[in-house]
Amino acid sequence: MASKHSIKRNFKVFVVLFSLWLSYGSQAAFAQASAVPTDAETIKAGESLFKQNCKACHSVQSRVVGPALKNVYDRKDLPWIYAFVKNPVKVIKSGDEYAVNLFEEYNQIEMTGFPSFTDEEIGSILAYVKDQTDNAVVAEPATADLKADPAASPSPYVNAIIIGGLVVLVILLIVLAMIISKLRSYLSNTELSEEDQEYIAKPDGIFATLRNKALIGIVIAVVTAVVTKATIDALFTIGVQQGYAPTQPIKYSHKVHAGDYKIDCNYCHTGVRKSKNANIPSPNICMNCHSAIDKGANTGTEEIQKIYDAVENNTPIEWVRVHNLPDLAYFNHSQHVEVGKVACQTCHGPVEEMEVVKQYANLTMGWCINCHRDTPLNTKGNGYYDKLVEIHEGKGEFTVAENGGLDCAKCHY
Amino acid sequence: MKFNKVFTLLVASGAALLISCGAGDDNAGYEYAPNMYHSVAYEPLKQVKDKESGLWVNSTEEEIGEYYSSNPNNEFEMNMLLPVENTVKRGDFLPYRIPKDSLALAAATLTNPLPNTKEVLADGKALYGRFCGHCHGSNGTEPGLVGERYAGVPSYTSAAVKNITEGHIFHVISLGKGRMAAHDSQLSQEERWKIVRYVQTLQKQ
Repeated sequence: MASKHSIKRNFKVFVVLFSLWLSYGSQAAFAQASAVPTDAETIKAGESLFKQNCKACHSVQSRVVGPALKNVYDRKDLPWIYAFVKNPVKVIKSGDEYAVNLFEEYNQIEMTGFPSFTDEEIGSILAYVKDQTDNAVVAEPATADLKADPAASPSPYVNAIIIGGLVVLVILLIVLAMIISKLRSYLSNTELSEEDQEYIAKPDGIFATLRNKALIGIVIAVVTAVVTKATIDALFTIGVQQGYAPTQPIKYSHKVHAGDYKIDCNYCHTGVRKSKNANIPSPNICMNCHSAIDKGANTGTEEIQKIYDAVENNTPIEWVRVHNLPDLAYFNHSQHVEVGKVACQTCHGPVEEMEVVKQYANLTMGWCINCHRDTPLNTKGNGYYDKLVEIHEGKGEFTVAENGGLDCAKCHY
Repeated sequence: MKFNKVFTLLVASGAALLISCGAGDDNAGYEYAPNMYHSVAYEPLKQVKDKESGLWVNSTEEEIGEYYSSNPNNEFEMNMLLPVENTVKRGDFLPYRIPKDSLALAAATLTNPLPNTKEVLADGKALYGRFCGHCHGSNGTEPGLVGERYAGVPSYTSAAVKNITEGHIFHVISLGKGRMAAHDSQLSQEERWKIVRYVQTLQKQ
């Protein structure tokens, strides 16, 4: 009897377990959408949690850093999701096939764990995700690419029109000259009255004026003055590289990086507050962002690919130096930027607007000296200057020049 | 009259030639005293590989031009070199040697050597603006302009990171984590610890 009973009981237990397993199986296969709460309050709580914690890497509709979350409750059962959100590393390490595949698919970057979340909180996030899945708003395709305004650059037709106009004028002149010479030869071959001949022999209006001595004098004087001025100006540009804008190995745009994205100059030019040189960034600094951003606003993937090539082959990117201060003068960036608090743009101009960097200032000695004469010394909060400021009190403005900024040996040694 | 014409033509063409001396685009222009412009010593951020370059101003019989500035003994003939491996910078912290995958160790053991003062926080804030803000946003909660494009930038107040320790923050700034790259080549340890102080105030907002 006893054994029969136990068999029956065992059978009952088995049936219950089997049906449970069945129902569990169907749940896993056909989702637990019904188990996800749908009340507005929970969705709202979930929304704020999602925006605060998940939005950085996940979107409901599309893949960002991690997978899109729509229908996530259909992919795995809720306890699995709870466990994964709380500690993804543990689930991956446990050898769970689905988790390991996810990890491999997403460049072996583990999701950040949220051990402080309760099941209810994760449930509310799922509620928000379900709400977004079911009431999907068709989003406009992102057009984040920052394109240069085509209207900003002058149309190439303008030049063509001007050149075309000039050509037409020259042809007209030639035709007129030909007509004049034809008329002249005709007149010389015809019989004319005395009066007419006299009239022809008289110099024409224009030629008469051209032979005027005073006019010739004025023209010569003006031409000489202009040529002299141009010569002197040209002589002064020797050794001055203002406007130099060499082609670089990579079409790097300061306008995109420093202008549109507002990345601080110091982020890449790491030496500017610490050393004589501002430094040209090595590719590892480019890769801080370009590991993920492989398509540019101006040139697509072409130019960014050059960074990848340089990193892969371990070859240097040979940038062309724009500012070549002569070796006879010493200049130190940290002294001006960190101590003097001079803005980069004071000497380099609006770099954040330049597609190709050009030398903005002329970098002549007069230019340096003028700034040293006009700029008051930045002594605030700098103990080094306390005594000097005290001594200088009542003697006018304490400029860089007053502090030896005009001494030869300040820059030439 | 003839002489005058020739003279005028000469002056005009001379002026035109001189005007072309100015720099622009790929043309760096002419130099006034080239011997004094080009460094004889190796300049770290300059390199002239052409041995003929500046041969015409040579004052000696040497066959390498005055402007040539490359170090043939270095890789790619570069003038600059990395410090010898395992050298320790004077007057600075000892090198940070905890490996990237030991985040938990760093998070549990490291403490900030800098005091929590107004000056340190102000420096940290300035450094944060220059090195972190474009991704993490001006106050660490909403991604900045680059962060929006880059994606995957967490808010400092999110449940996952709002309670992480100073050692954790320092380790991540130094060597990176997930999508964030290492910033130890751009920031000294002292600067990183200053940023840590400021980031901790952002976690608590």
